[in-house]
Amino acid sequence: MNQLPLQGIRLLDFCWVVAGPYACMLLAGLGAEVIRVESHERTDLMRRSVVWPLHEPSPVRVPPNQGMLYNYANRMKKSITLDLTKQEGIELAKRLVAVSDAVVDNMRPDAMIKMGLGYDALRRVKPDIIVVSSSSRGHEGSEKDYLGFATIHQSVGGLSYITGYPDDHPSHGTPGDADMMNATGTAFALLAALFHRARTGEGQFVDHSQCEGSSTLIGEQLLGYAMSGRIPERMGNAHPVHAPHSVYRCWGVDRWLALEVHTDEEFGGLVRLMGKPELASDTRFADGESRKRNEAELNRLIEDWTCRRDRDWIAEELGRAGIAAAPSRDAKDLHADRHLRAREAFVKVDHPELGELELVGLPWKISDIETPMTRAPLLGEHNQDVFGDLLGLGDDEIASLRAKGVIIK
Amino acid sequence: MNGRALEGIRVVECATMVSGPYCGKLLGDMGADVIKIEPPGGDPSRACGPFPNGDKDPEKSALFLYNNTSKRGVTLDIGKPERRDALERLLRWADIFIENYPPDYFASLGFGWDAVHRMNRGLVYVSLTPYGRTGPRASIKGDELTITHGGGVGYVLPARSVDIDRAPVKLGGCQVGYHGGLTAAVAVMGLLMGRMKTGEGHLIDISLQQVMLTLVGPFIASARYHQTTWHRVPDRPPATGRMETSDGYIVLGAADDHHFRAFREVMGKPEWAASDEWDDMRWRTNHLMDIAPQMEAWMKRQKKNDIYHRVAGAGIPIGPVNTAEDVMNSPQYAARGYFTPVDHPAAGEYRYAGWPYRMTASPPHVSRPAPLLGQHNEEVFRHVLGYSPDEVARLQDAQAIGQASGGGA
Repeated sequence: MNQLPLQGIRLLDFCWVVAGPYACMLLAGLGAEVIRVESHERTDLMRRSVVWPLHEPSPVRVPPNQGMLYNYANRMKKSITLDLTKQEGIELAKRLVAVSDAVVDNMRPDAMIKMGLGYDALRRVKPDIIVVSSSSRGHEGSEKDYLGFATIHQSVGGLSYITGYPDDHPSHGTPGDADMMNATGTAFALLAALFHRARTGEGQFVDHSQCEGSSTLIGEQLLGYAMSGRIPERMGNAHPVHAPHSVYRCWGVDRWLALEVHTDEEFGGLVRLMGKPELASDTRFADGESRKRNEAELNRLIEDWTCRRDRDWIAEELGRAGIAAAPSRDAKDLHADRHLRAREAFVKVDHPELGELELVGLPWKISDIETPMTRAPLLGEHNQDVFGDLLGLGDDEIASLRAKGVIIK
Repeated sequence: MNGRALEGIRVVECATMVSGPYCGKLLGDMGADVIKIEPPGGDPSRACGPFPNGDKDPEKSALFLYNNTSKRGVTLDIGKPERRDALERLLRWADIFIENYPPDYFASLGFGWDAVHRMNRGLVYVSLTPYGRTGPRASIKGDELTITHGGGVGYVLPARSVDIDRAPVKLGGCQVGYHGGLTAAVAVMGLLMGRMKTGEGHLIDISLQQVMLTLVGPFIASARYHQTTWHRVPDRPPATGRMETSDGYIVLGAADDHHFRAFREVMGKPEWAASDEWDDMRWRTNHLMDIAPQMEAWMKRQKKNDIYHRVAGAGIPIGPVNTAEDVMNSPQYAARGYFTPVDHPAAGEYRYAGWPYRMTASPPHVSRPAPLLGQHNEEVFRHVLGYSPDEVARLQDAQAIGQASGGGA
């Protein structure tokens, strides 16, 4: 039996949607005990949503334990239902804080404070508590109350402006990627705070801005602007230095190949496979600078070759020749991929309402540490465990709290 | 107050470009003592820029400067057998080893995981590779663009674009590298916590492909279990997307009924949007195209920043599509002290992107600017590794340690 690294750490998770819940799940994946606190008025909307892209012209609602985003981002957690609009609900939350190591939320800055669960209130309950709040713009500044979600954070943060084709409008990521990137940053800060506390006994407040989270991942672009005064523009799939570096149409409908060539040697391998070895010594393409200068022409030549061939064949041949190439994979491709299978990138969990679910696992593999992957909890599934076993409330007390609607269900 | 979370933690980084170096930076800015080993020719990110005014000085590449703050730098040709002793001394000294070379590279030098683990039981070894250390694709090359597609994110970008017939387009900058580094840093922190109890190090195997795969995990599950589609879907313009103003773009997120009602108020309820039917999501989703031209024309008459604050002030999610200049001049970022000045001996003093997390007890900071090539050879080889001046001189003669560079060349 290996001991998980965060065994013995307990988090109270007041989060919803993705950016907060996924941060807590990453810690659960390292062994922390995570208790999701939900109220019945506003259960996590991801519990009920069918995620984008929709297969219906209108949003589809599913029963509260069946949303895939919820089931993805809340594995290995416990769930309790507590009415935080009632004073007794707040008191119970504080009793949980007293036996926890950290409290995490991703609501607007004043939400926890208004409920009496802000850092200043909670440090009186437990002086060394760590409170992490991941909001849209952060807890300070004139825009702190502005609302946002993933694609807005990428836009405010400067990523959207440099995403897209140079001759077209700015774009952004899927509704999920900024959230999960921000979740990962939040998890890092929380772990640093836990480490600091383990060594010094000192708790703290961590104020995370999701807009700044996106800016942090384009730091070189911001510094480039600071140094040169030139605003970085959209480059499509091109690279500032290397060519060819693009996504090419392949044989079939909506099938694409991503290809990156970084050296003359790799270029030689590419043109040999294309059956045009003479291009390697062609003055237009003979070295990196020439290739970059004649990139459009080079891209046309390559696409003229790729569009008559199968994506997977080209990727395999180029891979073997030591050149970075990948098919643009869709959900089915990823599921079937033998490499991802061999690495056990997907994990199975049993869901009482949905049966077996096969979901993408954690983003790391750690030697000699196997995380037991369990499914996301049903709404209120652990009320008895948490209020009874952890807080030591008697059956009568729990029944009375349920009757008053403080514990829901 | 103001302790450094990772004070006294020793990191050796033998990594290039973004993923490994960003992981090292995250730890260094949190207070760890990071020694970066560069090949005598330098980390290739020194050649990438962006550069100040086209001055391609390897000491002035923004990509290198940003990702290598808070590190000391040494040059060592680790491929040379006679350098094994220096590398071994470094790995015995370290708590954490970060590398992003191909999976077998360090094993071929005699520093595979088993050997390193025997050498230093407590060492946390982080490997970042395109496809992970195991599996049939382990030795295939991959980089930013190919991993974006290999990991499944690329195929659905640009999200919600009208240009669904064009090739998918990647996220701007180096999102794969940054998110990979961030993910690695989370796993490292978890293991540092666990090591306090066990003293044991572990190998962390980060596959950048799987890091990207986690971002689309919910969509894969949704495609499989809710039969949703997996495509770049056309923009459903106004309610939840990018719109053009007279002087730039915004992303409007008037997604919920009450948001759209408030947005109609902001527009002054023009006759084409006068009906309360527009406050019903089902109606809106299926008819909004009919008034998209009017909405777009209305938005084109607004100024980006005016409409941003008016709409956000009305409680509607919205964000401007900010350029690097906008981000660096943002009053909100300034109020939170996001940017941090860094004075580099060759590049000069500029404001760098800081951290999205404010931490009250252990705030991150830049302890030193990115190292000049070989800047700390003498200091590290003599005072950290304990070589005599003669031995250091011999290492220099053999050109295994690069000569310290005063900038340029």
